[in-house]
Amino acid sequence: MSIWNYVVTAHKPTNVTHSCVGNFTSPQELNLIVAKCTRIEIHMLTPQGLQPMLDVPIYGRIATLELFRPHGETQDFLFIATERYKFCVLQWDPETSELVTRAMGDVSDRIGRPTDNGQIGIIDPDCRLIGLHLYDGLFKVIPFDNKGQLKEAFNIRLEELQVLDIKFLYGCSRPTIVVLYQDNKDARHVKTYEVSLKDKDFVEGPWSQNNLDNGADLLIPVPPPFCGVIIVGEETIVYCSATAFKAIPIRPSITRAYGRVDADGSRYLLGDHAGLLHLLVITHEKEKVTGLKIELLGETSIASTISYLDNAFVFIGSSYGDSQLIKLNLQPDVKGSYVEVLERYVNLGPIVDFCVVDLERQGQGQVVTCSGAYKDGSLRIVRNGIGINEQASVELQGIKGMWSLRSSTDDVYDTFLVVSFISETRILAMNLEDELEETEIEGFDSQVQTLFCHDALYNQLVQVTSSSVRLVSSTSRELRNEWKAPTGYSVNVATANASQVLLATGGGHLVYLEIGDGILTEVKHAQLEYEISCLDINPIGPNPNFSQLAAVGMWTDISVRIFSLPDLNLIIKENLGGEIIPRSVLLCSFEGISYLLCALGDGHLLNFILNMSTGELTDRKKVSLGTQPITLRTFSSKNATHVFAASDRPTVIYSSNKKLLYSNVNLKEVSHMCPFNSAAFPDSLAIAKEGELTIGTIDDIQKLHIRSIPLGEHARRICHQEQTRTFAICSLKYNQASAEESEMHFVRLLDDQTFEIISTYALDTYECGCSILSCSFSDDINVYYCVGTAYVLPEENEPTKGRILVFVVEDGKLQLIAEKETKGAVYSLNAFNGKLLAAINQKIQLYKWMLRDDGTHELQSECGHHGHILALYVQTRGDFIVVGDLMKSISLLIYKHEEGAIEERARDYNANWMSAVEILDDDVYLGAENNFNLFTVRKNSEGATDEERARLEVVGEYHLGEFINRFRHGSLVMRLPDSDIGQIPTVIFGTVNGVIGVIASLPNDQYIFLEKLQSNMRKVIKGVGGLNHEHWRSFHNEKKTADARNFLDGDLIESFLDLSRGRMEEISKTMGTSIEELSKRVEELTRLH
Amino acid sequence: MEEGSSSASPPPSDSIPTTSGTVAEFLTDLPSRGLFSSTAVSSSNPGGIRIYVCDHETAPPENQVIKTDQMNILIRSLTLKKQQGEATDNSRKRAADRAADGRASAKRASTSSQNSARQGGSSSRAADKKFQGLTVERLRALLKEKGLSPKGKKDELIERLRNSSK
Repeated sequence: MSIWNYVVTAHKPTNVTHSCVGNFTSPQELNLIVAKCTRIEIHMLTPQGLQPMLDVPIYGRIATLELFRPHGETQDFLFIATERYKFCVLQWDPETSELVTRAMGDVSDRIGRPTDNGQIGIIDPDCRLIGLHLYDGLFKVIPFDNKGQLKEAFNIRLEELQVLDIKFLYGCSRPTIVVLYQDNKDARHVKTYEVSLKDKDFVEGPWSQNNLDNGADLLIPVPPPFCGVIIVGEETIVYCSATAFKAIPIRPSITRAYGRVDADGSRYLLGDHAGLLHLLVITHEKEKVTGLKIELLGETSIASTISYLDNAFVFIGSSYGDSQLIKLNLQPDVKGSYVEVLERYVNLGPIVDFCVVDLERQGQGQVVTCSGAYKDGSLRIVRNGIGINEQASVELQGIKGMWSLRSSTDDVYDTFLVVSFISETRILAMNLEDELEETEIEGFDSQVQTLFCHDALYNQLVQVTSSSVRLVSSTSRELRNEWKAPTGYSVNVATANASQVLLATGGGHLVYLEIGDGILTEVKHAQLEYEISCLDINPIGPNPNFSQLAAVGMWTDISVRIFSLPDLNLIIKENLGGEIIPRSVLLCSFEGISYLLCALGDGHLLNFILNMSTGELTDRKKVSLGTQPITLRTFSSKNATHVFAASDRPTVIYSSNKKLLYSNVNLKEVSHMCPFNSAAFPDSLAIAKEGELTIGTIDDIQKLHIRSIPLGEHARRICHQEQTRTFAICSLKYNQASAEESEMHFVRLLDDQTFEIISTYALDTYECGCSILSCSFSDDINVYYCVGTAYVLPEENEPTKGRILVFVVEDGKLQLIAEKETKGAVYSLNAFNGKLLAAINQKIQLYKWMLRDDGTHELQSECGHHGHILALYVQTRGDFIVVGDLMKSISLLIYKHEEGAIEERARDYNANWMSAVEILDDDVYLGAENNFNLFTVRKNSEGATDEERARLEVVGEYHLGEFINRFRHGSLVMRLPDSDIGQIPTVIFGTVNGVIGVIASLPNDQYIFLEKLQSNMRKVIKGVGGLNHEHWRSFHNEKKTADARNFLDGDLIESFLDLSRGRMEEISKTMGTSIEELSKRVEELTRLH
Repeated sequence: MEEGSSSASPPPSDSIPTTSGTVAEFLTDLPSRGLFSSTAVSSSNPGGIRIYVCDHETAPPENQVIKTDQMNILIRSLTLKKQQGEATDNSRKRAADRAADGRASAKRASTSSQNSARQGGSSSRAADKKFQGLTVERLRALLKEKGLSPKGKKDELIERLRNSSK
């Protein structure tokens, strides 16, 4: 790999952190707005449910999200503050469908200690000011003027340093905040302050309440007529106002989120840490609060945000599991739950660990993640590309073409599958036992190769061979009519639909026939100057049986031409350029837009937008799909039409949001494909590949496919063992049933096909699994699972004891065959020169695998290296060891065989708190740290002095905005050795927000080209809310901020494909590169993930 | 609402004991605006959501780039207090002696606020400031020139000089 890296998101963040409901897109429309850390999603509430509208990337990590309505406005504005102290106010312009920035600004202060309990951003219910608590002891106020414009912000000193929550109170003549805080004796209190905008200071508020529940953590302001505030604790819930104080006890729980149900604030939904949903009711007589009631409704994912939508439907946003759409039922179900989960929105976050495996052994990587936390823990299998679920397959060599036919025009299912070979044609059909059996259609010529087949009107079938066109009855299967090629000419290519046949004979003759009831009529003939290479008359106009246009690909002048039918007049000729002939053309229509697709002999595909009335071709684009000639064919799946491009790299072409997308099919090489929708195999495809014919169904047409394996416990480490076809995980289960909360840790063995737990090893009390590895040792043929553990005792700050456990899988069981006690937590395990390298607290330790006299093995310490704070992440390459330290960035160690010692070779002297490391190549190492940055360091072997050589030079810096837990070498896509993209090495990463990303090392020239494209994209694509891309991607921690270097933002670059034609032209001009070339290069990059 | 059937069902096992009838009671009349009313409420796949490409100008209106008042909180509050003090001061003085005080208050506004807290209310701050800047030696020399006693603390010297200069 190299130092020039390209970072791109393969799976977007799915961790829902905030949500709110309001009239954002229009005064009449009600919207749900969901924040997923660096993105917001806007949905519309409709009688039919949630309708997704827009997914908006934000150049920042969203810290607070609020909807509010300034005076005199008819729709809500959106207030967003980011963790890097920027804020913006967004308004939706319904006319242009754009987000307009109403205000933005920087709310950072030069001095001040960032709050420990998260940033707070609140808006006065009467819209007089925005309040922000970003630094301990400071409360920032951004006042509104009476026209709803924001004015200069100012800070007010807040005496309470340990603030837990701040909210605005309703119904106060002056803006009043209520502050929940902890004093230095750890007691919790609430206090109210009025904000005096004139004095720019606090005035003591109307009331306060001391000595609350020790777990009080959440304030819920109550709107008029009751006003006041609800204080939610771990054991009590209290309603507090100037005039009333009501409390009720609750079952001990930590409330994580609330959602207000009624506008008058009489009912609230509370979600706790165990995923239980409660209803909190304020009982009242007229406007006087008489008490509180709480009822358990049922279980959901562990909520981080709750938004009541409408008509008993509620959105549960979750950070630890899938977000959900639930309905509150009046009657409990059999389990006594009032909650009905209607929909789950997949969330991979937090990805704590993952591994890259090739389960199907097709060269197609899959990512298996440890996702979710607590009860919502799960494994997720993430796979790129579209899979074919094989249902039947037969060995058949030399297939030259395939078509499916029906036994009558009205039949919904296909009956026959015509398979053409070089010198014969065989017909397969489903028999009564639902088996595929060879049959005959008497009217067909089965002694020669078939060029084309199709169902025709009037219960007829058409077969085109090199000598004739045969029209056959589909009921009697007898020949009804035949059109013979003129003597001396043979048909080279042909196509047909239900009522038309178009064929080309040698010498550039184009013949057009029409199909009648039992008759074929030659309607038109045209002589072209060159030979014809491919044809298509797929009807995409209003009549599904008749096409008014014909597409013709030509030899010699390398062009594609559009003819009108039935008169065969040339409408347009488009020269393709280059020397590669078109091998397949296809007229097709996606989402109401007509396209002409033209596949070349070298695996490239051109696409044009086709004007159906004039025949004009516009918006030419070129992509590279593979290296072999492509055959295009349409098929339907889930009521949508897609195109299958059969080649050495089969691809499905589909359309989403009026943009063509290309998704890999996870098959190696497909020569032909035809849809085969039979009664036994509904919605299936027949696929000819590598000497066999397969019938199978196709996955949903989308890029990433995610399968969930719920565990009900929190998986923390995972690894795969190829030899035993198993996964091993370290997991923990929280035991909430007992009064005292306890957790149990396990090592579990799972089958890699069924994902069933087949064996479990329970760890000791207080012992938890920290690392897991599948490895083998020198002089031993067995493969082992090694597990590193730590005894986490409540009274210890750092574990002082741990174990390394060595398991072997026998008969699907985990057998412990060796164990070694360590003097600390085993944070990392690596296979290293046939030995085991462990990171134990501040030490790196190497163990040998020794055979004892009794034939058993034991781990024996060989050597070690001290000098880390905590060696958390270790990667090895050859004799080199790269260590990611808790707080001392990356260091490079070397193992010296002769001396049997590990020595430090070099280190990065920055104080980065690491979260993951990986070795990119011999000299370049990649690190992620806890301020959401990525950086690369390089070994300086050519340094003149020892000191220079002992320093790892920082060569790349980038702000990712995501907390990375793990890097792994590997790829999500199938690697083809002879494609350009196949040569680009990649690293995959997984983050807390559920992002799966790819870091690709580019050659320098490509990097420079893309860097130029990125800087041009920055000028065209603006940050929503006026946030700046350059600032967002700049490396940033407490100590420094530096411009990003040697990393490119792939998400920005790939959005080139989403730009309008005009914008593309703008960029193309400044880049001095054609749009076609730019799209092709960017499209290629999208194939990295 | 079917009160009978709901109370017959078993209460949720681990809630604070109530009858399930009350839950149903609490769950009645959930707010509805006519949305999610279709019998087959379905939400389409969130993967199909359109990605927003923001290719228009996103800078906010000119005066809506918000910055924070960088003045130190203490200084700001002192300045504010002073301004308020002046406001009340001025109105009181204006009633008493408009012509005489006009000059002094104009000057006062331009002085630094550093000594204002300690000496708030003193009428000749400008002169005061001048004397404060001098050394005790210099003050004594001035007093000697005017034939006054050069003894005492600095504050007393200034007081004496001020009285003499009135």
